[in-house]
Parts: sequence; C-alpha cells; structure tokens
Amino acid sequence: MRSVPTHTDAPESAHDVIVLGVTASDAHAVANQLIAHGLRAQGYTVINLGVCTPVAEFALAVRENPGVLAVVVGSLNGHAYEDLCDLPAARAAGDLACPVILGGNLSVGSRKDPGALDRLRRLGVDHLLSELSDLAPLLRELARQAARSRQLQTI
Amino acid sequence: MNRDMHRFTDAPTGPGPAFPSVAETVHFARTRGTPTVRDVLARSVQNAVVAIQPRCGVGGHAEMRQLLRALDTGARPDVLTLTIDSHTRLNRFAHAARLAGTDPSALNGYPLVAHGWQRGRELVESVSAPVEIRHGSPDPRLLFDVAVAAGATSFEGGGISYNLPYCKDVPLAHSLACWREVDAMTGDLRRAGLTLDRELFGTLTGVLTPPSISLAIGVIEAALAAAEGVGCLSLSYPQGGHLAQDVAALRAIPVLAARYLPADVEVYPVLHEFMGVFPGQRAHAEQLIFYGALTARLGGAAKLVTKTYQEALGVPDAQANIDGMRLAAVANSPLLDFVTVDTERVEEELDWLLAEVDDLVAPVLGAADPARAVTAAFADGTLDIPFSASRYARGDVLPCRDASGAIRYAVAGALPLSPAAVARHRSGLGLADGPHSMRTLVDRVTHDIHHFLHLFREIEP
Repeated sequence: MRSVPTHTDAPESAHDVIVLGVTASDAHAVANQLIAHGLRAQGYTVINLGVCTPVAEFALAVRENPGVLAVVVGSLNGHAYEDLCDLPAARAAGDLACPVILGGNLSVGSRKDPGALDRLRRLGVDHLLSELSDLAPLLRELARQAARSRQLQTI
Repeated sequence: MNRDMHRFTDAPTGPGPAFPSVAETVHFARTRGTPTVRDVLARSVQNAVVAIQPRCGVGGHAEMRQLLRALDTGARPDVLTLTIDSHTRLNRFAHAARLAGTDPSALNGYPLVAHGWQRGRELVESVSAPVEIRHGSPDPRLLFDVAVAAGATSFEGGGISYNLPYCKDVPLAHSLACWREVDAMTGDLRRAGLTLDRELFGTLTGVLTPPSISLAIGVIEAALAAAEGVGCLSLSYPQGGHLAQDVAALRAIPVLAARYLPADVEVYPVLHEFMGVFPGQRAHAEQLIFYGALTARLGGAAKLVTKTYQEALGVPDAQANIDGMRLAAVANSPLLDFVTVDTERVEEELDWLLAEVDDLVAPVLGAADPARAVTAAFADGTLDIPFSASRYARGDVLPCRDASGAIRYAVAGALPLSPAAVARHRSGLGLADGPHSMRTLVDRVTHDIHHFLHLFREIEP
C-alpha cells in the first residue's frame, strides 16, 4: 500500500487509470517519477512502468488493466522513433487501443526537425506534447470524451 | 512480459586467459612500488589532505591508456579511475566486445571484461597512482575477478546502491547476493595479505539525495560487507550544495562507523562533487567545483571525486579533467586555514542527521537476516530512495530545498523517522501547517533540481 498522500489537490477523475512509462532505451527516472507524483495528485490512478519500457510492456499493462484512459510515454534521450518502432505492429494486433501520448525531447539535436514529429505520428502516436503543462488539459479532455462515449453506450 | 533479469546477460564465450593466482595478485599489488588505494586513504587522513580522484573511461584500450597517462602526468591525482561502460555493467560482455572491436567510441566507458585482465594490468602499470573500478553493476562478479587480476585496489558499488539507481527490474535479493560474493572474495584477499578498498555509492540517483538516506544505505552496505570480512570501506556522500549540511554528513560517517561497524574495519568518508544538474558556463561550473573541494576539506573527507567544467555538456576531454582536478587540489592549500564553518549549525545538523540514520538503519541491522530485512524494508517503504529507477524501491520520498538550500523531506513516505524529525523537515520547507498541494510541490522539486542554474542566473526563476 502506498502511504496516504498528505496533499490537498482535489481528485478530478478518481477512477481514471493512466499507464505511464519511459521509452525502451531511456533510463531517465527523475522526470518520470515527478510526472507520476503529479498525476496521482490530480486524482489519477497511475500504473508507472518506469524507465526502459518496451512497447510490449505498455501493451501488456493496457491488456491487464481494462479501461485505461491513456498511455503516457516519455522520451528524453532523442531515440523515441527507434524505441517506438514496434507500435504499429502492436496496434495492428489489437493492442494499445487507448490514446497514446508522447512527450519529452523527441529527437536528437537541439534544433528540432518537424519531419521527426510527422514520423512519430505515422507510427501511431495520437498526441505529441512539447510542454509538460499541456498534459493535464489533454487528459481532462480525453476523460470527458471517454465519459461521453460511456454515456452513449448506456443509452 | 519477459522479466528474466538475465535477458541481457551474454552466455559465456569460452575460456579467456586464466586468472593469476591470489598469491600472484597479492604479490603484484604489494611489490609494484605504488601505494594501494587503501594506503592513499590512510595517508590522506593522517595528513588531513583530501585525496583527489577523477572519473574517466573510454572504450578503446590505447585511448584509455593515453587518457590515464595524460591525467596522471597532468594533475598527479592520488587515485585514478577506470569507469566501465554500461553494456559491461549489465553483463552484456559479447556486445561490449563487439563494439570494442568495431567502434570503441560508441562505448560510454572502458569494457574491462572484453579487453581482459592482462590489458587491465597494462593500464594499471602505465600510471603512478592506484586504480579504482567505478561502474554501476548489480551483478559485478566477473568484473570483480577481472579487476582484481588486473591489479585494481578499489572496487566501487554495493547491492543496494548499484541496483536501485541503475536498474529497473533486478530484484534486490539478487544484487545483494551477488555483492555478498564480491565482499566475501574481498575478505579472502584480505586474509591473503591484500586489503582492497570497497567504496559504497552513497550518491544514488545524484538528484537531491537526502543525506540520511545516503548515509543509511552506506551504513547498511558497510555492515553487510564487514560481515563478509571486508576490512577497508569508503562511504561516499554526494555534495548537496549546503555547506553545513554537507560538512555534517561527512563528519557523521566516522561516528556511524564507530556505532555500527567492527572496530577493526577502516572507514573513510568520501565526497562526490555535485552530481546533479551542473551549470553550463565554465566560470559557474568552476565555482561549484571549488566549493565542493572546500566542502570536502571542511568535512574531513579522505577523498574527493571530481567533476569538470564540461559536466553540463557530457563526457569531458582530458584537459578539462586535468583542470578540474587541479582546481579541486587548490582547496587543499595550507593558505586556506582561515576558511572555517559555522560549528553550531554543523552540530545541529549532525545531531538530527545521526538520529535519522539510526531510525532508518536500526530495524534492518537489528534483524536476524539483515539482507532479507533490506529487501523487505524497500518493499514496504521503510527504506526508500527518491526517483528510483527500480521497481524494487517505492520512490514515495520527495525531497526539496529549504530557503537556505538544505535538502529536506517534503514527503517522507513510510520512512520510520521520528515525528519531530518529519516536523522539522516540513517546517523548514514552509509545509508545517498541514497538507500541501502536490502540483505545487512537483513544480518546486523541478525548480530545486535546477538549483545551481537559478543561483548563477543561467535560467530565469
């Protein structure tokens, strides 16, 4: 059991589950841990797969936890494209049906090439974030959409 | 999912050159005319002059020898280093060997197992300072054999400190068992007449490491090592950047050693110059390096492991490494006797710190099977590290800096600290009045990770 959080942030979506992790070749733990702390403070249930997570491990976590709102993938070492090259095959096999969000430092070099982002979209990444502050509003929007589609299904 | 911890481990590729006998290894170390690392540490404490050691490791053998010789002649360090590449750390020896043959510059350290103990000995023989092996391996058994055969007289790491910051998926019970073998072999060598230094990696993830966690893990690893017969231990602590806190942490090490370790075990305090986000501008980086060296002097460190002004850019070149050591050595000057530290503040920090370390280590070291108690304690959060890369530590702890820059626990998780200690930490952070906003706290931790960039105004507040 995790300790009871001693913080005041009101849960916004207490039941939404986020799968979080860092790409396969990337061992940057600090930002990942901070994002996990931050998402839990916002009321999400976070399954944090941590550093060095291959696509297959993200897929397994989504399979084992029905109703995952989104998969949030971080990549800081510039190898996002190589690390996610199994994503199209996984999705073709029916895995990772929920939205996949990717953020961080997404390609090598300090000058960013817009073509690199297109390549990541073609792999099947649904949302590319350049700023961490964009994550919370995006997840809120995805939660609203998920709630709406659940309502439609019950009508 | 494949959770086999040996999935990256290469199968043995056939017999390498036979290792020298223990007697030959001992004879080599004792007769080659240079001190062992332990000799250097003992001399350094006796003379109250901090020993200086760089970090260095490149993939190619000729390049490594050239680098060691350049550092040796350029700065006359007291101890030299072979930093090992990350494939070797994960026992991917065939992979390391392939790269060593085709593209050694792609390796982020020296692949000692791939190059073999004879080349290792060539390196040791090419310099006048004794050599330590620094790596980050949860299972270092083969690396240790090669290192000892090569003539290295210090070997860094431990079953906790070389697992949790480096690996995602290696059970603590496994790394502790591997390191127990290394410690037992160190004990065998001691009985055969060679006392190796075993340095414990208290730096951990290197980011806002709370002093009581660093020291508690060091003391636990030291007690486990001493139980296997290790006779010389270096407890390293990472410079946090707050002088009184850092000096107190260094001065705590001999006190803790007297409390928890057998009297016949030598224990040396070691400071690692700041390991977090380093200033990018040379002038700022050099101020931080000099500040670290002064901290080591005032804290009574036996040894200082240095950084360079190129730290923010990546692996430094030889000249930057030499410049970093020479700058650090300036802090050893007898002219600097006028530099003192606020004794009252240090004493206050020291009292609290010793009490915290006692709270953390006593349940583990009091257990019938301390190694098993370590694994259980990390599972239930009564031992923990912030920003753990491993799933075998919970990472519930969250450190921040108080207004004076000292590192305090904003969230102590399930650590068994006294209520008074937790209250002191939280009030120091302005969090005494009850619950905090985690979102605000995450922003604050992020700010504190970049502390020195803010201090030197390299980034906006």
